[in-house]
Amino acid sequence: MRKKLTLLKSGFLISAILFSNLLFAQNQLTGTVKDENGKALVGVTIFVRGTKVATATDANGSFNVTVPKNRPVLVVSSVGYEPQEISVNGLTEIAITMKTSVSTLNTVVVTGYGTQKKKDISGSVAIVDVGDAKKIPATSTEQLLQGQAAGVTVLNSGQPGGSSTVFVRGISNFGQTQPLYVVDGVQVGDMSNLNPNDIESISVLKDAGAAAIYGISGGNGVVVITTKKGRAGKATISYDGYVGTQRPLSGNVWHIMSPAQQSEVAFRANDVATEGLYPGGAGIIPTYGYHGAPAAGAFGIAGVTNDDGILQYYKFDANNPGNDFLIQKFATGQGTDWFHSIFKPALEQQHTLSASGGNDKSTYFFSANYVNQQGTMLNTYEKRYAIRMNTTFSVKNHVRFGENAFVTFKDNNGGYNGSQQNEGGSIAYTYREMPIIPVFDVAGNFGGGYDGPTGEPLGNGSNPYAIQARQKNNRAHFVLVQGNVFAEADVLKDFTLHTSLGFNLYNQYWYAFGYNTYENYESHASPNGVDEEEQYSTQYNWTNTITYKHSFGKHNVQVFGGFELKQSGGRQFHASAQNFFSMDPNYVQLQFGTPVNAPLSYIYQPTATESFFGRLDYTYNDRYILGATVRRDGYSIFYPGHQWGTFPSVSLAWRVTQEDFMKNITWLNELKIRGSYGEAGNNLNIGGANAYNAYASGTGSSYYGIDGNSSSITQGFNQSQIGNQKTTWETDKITNIGLDATLFNHLDITAEWYKKAIGGLLFPAGAAATVGGASLPSVNIGDVQNKGLDISITYRDRLSKDFSFRIGTNITTYQSKITYEPSPGYFDFGYSRDLDIVRNQVGHPIGAFYGYKVIGLYQSNTDAAKGATYSGAAAGSFIYQDVNKDGKIDANDRTWIGNPNPKFTYGVNLSANYKNFDLTVVLYGSYGNDDFNYVKYWTCFYSTFQGGKNIDLYNKAAIVQNGVVTNPGATLPAANFNQAFGSSTVSSFYVENGSFLKCRVAQIGYTINPSILDKVGIDKIHVYVQATNLFTITKYSGLDPELIPSISNNGTGNYQSAAFGIDYGAYPTNQKQFIFGANVTF
Amino acid sequence: MKRFHSKLIILGAAAMFMLTIIYSCKKFLDKPLVGALSQDVLASKSGLDGLLIGAYSMLDGYSAGSYTSWEVGTDNWVYGGVGSDDAYKGSNTTDQPNIPSIENHSIDPSNEFMNEKWSSCYNAIQRANDVIREVPLIKDGSVSTDYGNEAIAEARFIRGVMHMELAQMWRNVPYVDETISYSSGNFNVPNPGPIWDKIEADFTAAMGVLPKTQSQIGRANYYAAEAFLAKAYMFDHQYAQALPLLTDLMQNGQTSSGAKYALGPFEDNFDASHRNNAEGVFEVQMTVNDGSGGQNSNQGNILNFAAGPYTSCCGFYQPSYHLGNAYKVDANGLPMLGTTTVTVQDYNADNKTTTAVQATLPNYDVTPLANDHGLTASDPFTPPTDALDPRIDWTLGRRGIPYLDWGLCGGEQWSRGDVVSYNPIKNVFWHNAMAATTDPNAQGWAPNQGTSINFDLIRYPEVILWHAECEVETGNLQAAEDDVNMVRNRMAAHPEYWVHTYVDDNDPSKGFTNTPAANYHIGLYGAAGLHPATGFVVNGASYAREAVHMEEQLELAMEGRRFFNLQRWDGLYGGPEASGYMADVINNYIKADTRISNPVLNAHSFTAGKNELYPVPQNQIDLEAGALKQNPMY
Repeated sequence: MRKKLTLLKSGFLISAILFSNLLFAQNQLTGTVKDENGKALVGVTIFVRGTKVATATDANGSFNVTVPKNRPVLVVSSVGYEPQEISVNGLTEIAITMKTSVSTLNTVVVTGYGTQKKKDISGSVAIVDVGDAKKIPATSTEQLLQGQAAGVTVLNSGQPGGSSTVFVRGISNFGQTQPLYVVDGVQVGDMSNLNPNDIESISVLKDAGAAAIYGISGGNGVVVITTKKGRAGKATISYDGYVGTQRPLSGNVWHIMSPAQQSEVAFRANDVATEGLYPGGAGIIPTYGYHGAPAAGAFGIAGVTNDDGILQYYKFDANNPGNDFLIQKFATGQGTDWFHSIFKPALEQQHTLSASGGNDKSTYFFSANYVNQQGTMLNTYEKRYAIRMNTTFSVKNHVRFGENAFVTFKDNNGGYNGSQQNEGGSIAYTYREMPIIPVFDVAGNFGGGYDGPTGEPLGNGSNPYAIQARQKNNRAHFVLVQGNVFAEADVLKDFTLHTSLGFNLYNQYWYAFGYNTYENYESHASPNGVDEEEQYSTQYNWTNTITYKHSFGKHNVQVFGGFELKQSGGRQFHASAQNFFSMDPNYVQLQFGTPVNAPLSYIYQPTATESFFGRLDYTYNDRYILGATVRRDGYSIFYPGHQWGTFPSVSLAWRVTQEDFMKNITWLNELKIRGSYGEAGNNLNIGGANAYNAYASGTGSSYYGIDGNSSSITQGFNQSQIGNQKTTWETDKITNIGLDATLFNHLDITAEWYKKAIGGLLFPAGAAATVGGASLPSVNIGDVQNKGLDISITYRDRLSKDFSFRIGTNITTYQSKITYEPSPGYFDFGYSRDLDIVRNQVGHPIGAFYGYKVIGLYQSNTDAAKGATYSGAAAGSFIYQDVNKDGKIDANDRTWIGNPNPKFTYGVNLSANYKNFDLTVVLYGSYGNDDFNYVKYWTCFYSTFQGGKNIDLYNKAAIVQNGVVTNPGATLPAANFNQAFGSSTVSSFYVENGSFLKCRVAQIGYTINPSILDKVGIDKIHVYVQATNLFTITKYSGLDPELIPSISNNGTGNYQSAAFGIDYGAYPTNQKQFIFGANVTF
Repeated sequence: MKRFHSKLIILGAAAMFMLTIIYSCKKFLDKPLVGALSQDVLASKSGLDGLLIGAYSMLDGYSAGSYTSWEVGTDNWVYGGVGSDDAYKGSNTTDQPNIPSIENHSIDPSNEFMNEKWSSCYNAIQRANDVIREVPLIKDGSVSTDYGNEAIAEARFIRGVMHMELAQMWRNVPYVDETISYSSGNFNVPNPGPIWDKIEADFTAAMGVLPKTQSQIGRANYYAAEAFLAKAYMFDHQYAQALPLLTDLMQNGQTSSGAKYALGPFEDNFDASHRNNAEGVFEVQMTVNDGSGGQNSNQGNILNFAAGPYTSCCGFYQPSYHLGNAYKVDANGLPMLGTTTVTVQDYNADNKTTTAVQATLPNYDVTPLANDHGLTASDPFTPPTDALDPRIDWTLGRRGIPYLDWGLCGGEQWSRGDVVSYNPIKNVFWHNAMAATTDPNAQGWAPNQGTSINFDLIRYPEVILWHAECEVETGNLQAAEDDVNMVRNRMAAHPEYWVHTYVDDNDPSKGFTNTPAANYHIGLYGAAGLHPATGFVVNGASYAREAVHMEEQLELAMEGRRFFNLQRWDGLYGGPEASGYMADVINNYIKADTRISNPVLNAHSFTAGKNELYPVPQNQIDLEAGALKQNPMY
């Protein structure tokens, strides 16, 4: 490392010598800086390009600087003014006038396959302020996008390394809705692993005018990211890092009642089987629960006792659970706080060291990054080690080549067996496990539902501490190599040729241990075991473009053509074994156990995309702008004849303020009106075999013991896939109308209205069971339309020489509506134990909640018999709305009970500087979305499984005597277990207002005076303290109203966006975090 | 500088040339299908064999990854058992919340179980159709006409069996033959009425080709097809057509391995160590430790194990008290036929209070057989000394009676749920054969609960008793009595087939004594000297009919048949009993049994004209866009 730096430095030195006219000569320069009105400007930064020399103007606007003769250029900058570069060769005095900056018009924005000045853009491109975004400490870099760009909605997971759900302008299909990510020109699947400190720019292409150039891959929107490149000049070495702590939510997060209260409710419910758990009567918790065989003394197989004499019989036999006799001491008082048994404060740190520099022949950017985020949940973490190396080299002035390479090694415990947002997740078990159960039994083994009376009065939950503790030795390792090599040449006068070979190589290995879960009722005798899996995938992009740029008179023309090939594939291997002699992770290897299944391998369907594309940008007189793109894509998964599609777009813009008649309107600095229309596509939601009638063979699905031998099977085949040759991509037709304005020199406004009509949604259309059991093909069914507004407003000002500030807000609205589905015009989705929660139906938004509408509680049996009836209606059960007014409540009375799509989401970014202090606040909010709090299924009703129960069931449930509710203010159905339909079925009871406002970041920083640092050779030190998620304002009663789609959507993880906003126990993302960080530049 | 430019022009031209080449190379988009075979690759003898095996493998209803095993299990424990008076759901009241509505006849068409069972049957049918469709595609000469025809015959047999399953569940079901497929777009098949004629045609065609013995016992033979044809006639109430088939089966029938049909030890039929015995007219093969991780074991029954002895899950399919009562016998060792109207205290919906109601109970229900309901482990309990049909203790586990070789049954202590005392036993494996007959991996959470206990889709006593039914309905009561006695005599003449006490109650592995475990008594009808006389001829057709039906209840209990037999006997759809028979049986069972508080059954009833059939899955009605009709009153 040291050697490399030395080499680079000497390269720098040599080039410096070559460029210099005079060596080491200097001259003194004094000057003043004024604004256009002649007023002296204070605090203007002046530095000599290519040196460390910098100063600032004093209260009179004056400055004094020493300029080396070989570096005769000053860079003068101040917030709110156009930066200038002034040659001062030989001067000793200078007067500088700063021009008020007219917004960011000349900012160069990265767009599809190139860059454009902001003023020349006619499509819809949201620019993420990377500086603000980076302040959110995140192990999944997608989180940076949250609240930073109008039109982009991000749902985060709080799990270390957990992926976010990102969608641009609403959920636009039933399956995969993530945008395309393009990093340094390479199309990749996500941006979660990038080091935020490496990111130079992020642009989000939202409309067809901007995104259609990506054709078949652009329909979900495109996030274009560039990483930092070196610049000619002095080498800069910087360090960014922070350490901090994350604090779990505090308090009784699930509102769980105490064991004694729970026993009282059991007696109220007249639950004879459960009363057996409390032989002392309501409110009296027995001392011990036991279970085992053979029976111990007079105690029998299972039960409860207060007799300490039982302790002598305790027996734990890991090798033969059938011999166990386990005893646990029940938790009294508030009982076990399961949530906090696994959630503890956790440390987090991140460090990046980067170096950049170069000369006119070569530049480099290098960074090394270390992330270690310990999860607040026991045994969760993400460790990441990443290196980036971006270099460019020039041959003469016309040919450039270089590379961008990013290598990440990631290490975590995989989260296997502990996946959240799932009723089987360990978070779900923190409400499903009864608080009477202790974390550990009397001998320090895990407590659980096993040790107690039979008949399962201790519920069917699992000990979440045990689940997480057992993850300790699980490991997952990932290696990701991403980047490209490129070459570029300027040909003739106006042409540039560019070729880039991008790569995205991924390798993952994980192993996870399974243990005998002796503490559980259902799997007391389950064997231990291990699963190991390896997978790799490769993807190559080869992109070739030619660009022609020409200006003549008032005409500005840029024409661009390209050809691209993309190819992907991979394999996966999985094996498992069980019954290991020891579960020491240093011992366990597959061959030491007995195999469960034959090892499995999967070949990933190889895919290929071939594309031709072109773009024309024409500007007349800097005010009339035309953009047109066309792309033709062929995709291998579709059947020949349906493989090729063409995606055109056109966009127009008019910079009104350039017109002469606008010249007098001084308050309006800039106004651009623009519109676009075009088509893009989406091909994510289709499997490889979709076009074919395919047959497969599986020991569990098609083998049969035809010979009558009880342990031999004969191979058989079955149709695994029904083919559809007509299937093709989803088409997104996008209309966009927008304006960009700058007012009063301080206020930037971008407002856009869009309509996105997505046709031919890919989904496996339901077909009658008479077609057989093979997988149905995805076909183009269903149309969805999203309409909405994206608005972003930024105001910035400098009130005095010491104080400047900026407020940025952005708002995203969308209205989703399904406009077509084949008969019957809907499909149901979203797992619940009773009915599906979601109905996706024509005329309604994607993901709408569908069920019974609760309008009250029956106060008496007489009322229940009179009202619209259903089986089990009685005093203390829900009154449902008789939607079809036929006098009975049945499936036809289900209706729309909620909409998980927000009316709008918004972000507010505040930043202010006062002297050396800086303040940043980032707020993020969502308004008008409903959450379906499925947790209540488990906690709010007696009729569902035993488990942790909500205190409301104790305080607010109807109490029925002689057929009458005796506490008329009751809000929950009576605690009894005969009312499943009258309580826990899918209803509006579960639907809560999911609106929230989160203070994602509040940061105070201090920049140490450069004059002090100069002596120690440091350019800049910025230190800060930051609080993340300082507050969350919401009415939602669960942990966090921000919910990623669940992984248990009927097990079909590919169709996540068909159901979302359902809370099964998500890893909260609103945990507070406090960090201390520093940025140091040398 | 000029020279440099020209170099670049050359470079550019080269690049353009390369692009042209690539564009011409259109093969770039040709990517192979991976991890699967095409229909063409399978067009050979081994491909055809494989497709046929694939069809057989769906006979158990289950296919890994496609269905929830207990919703589709071939033994129909939910639909034929829990839905009838055989058994309760078991486990906790709220566990598997779709089953209570099946148990208490409040089911609605959106119940997921309906869709799963329906879909599983049509999956099997299309796999059979795949065999039939493949035969003409084979051009490599590896398959002779005869070989092809036999494959088609086996496929038609499987197709018939699965349509039979559908028809007994829903009666009005689509008939799907090999002309129906996704690609031909004709898959929205209507269900205008019963399809007995088409089922009969499939079995008749199969009989025409299938050999009397097969090299592999899992394959259907001539007699299996004949027995299923007889079953279809029984459901079609064509007794005259069924009778000669059943007579032939009793005289000549043999298993695929050539064993003549015969009655052996009763328990052998439920013991994995005695699979494929002479009583198995057609058995669904269950295998374990076969490299599939338990997927081919008896997955349908994976929940149906008492919680006690295995320290394991899940405690479903608990035999009803009413079923236990049915094994009580009179002084002659015969079932307690007839009914008595009594007043019972029936539990209300609140599960606490009761109301006095009149119930016409089977005589055996008037005084229930004592069990340990409500007792704890330390409460003393002595098994009742009532005279009992010895089949009871191979059918349900009662406290204090040897439970296979697992020890004395713990009764309610072993059960998981809230109301039950009896434990299922016919699907349970022997402790000493655990390693050989169970799979340690079934479903992960249910180690050893996947067994290699085959399920007999038709068991020989069923053939005999169908024969008896036909004799009753065609007027030959003496022949019917002989049939019933043949079935009874297996136990009557062989006390060694009964359950006996353990040598050592604390160590069942030491084996059994010769002492019967309870007061067993089983007699024959029409024996000389009995008063009143018990002969069928003397007592007439209705007595004979009741006796035959009772015999089927006792012999085939807990084998998922009861619901369908009650439906078949009901006059509503042409059966020999009065219209409303099934509703009466079930409703009286609910009244008799809810003398204990059963939160699932309390205050529920069976609706005549509706609940004899299950509701056509709403999902399928929606998907067929109007072609499919719902069953009456749903």
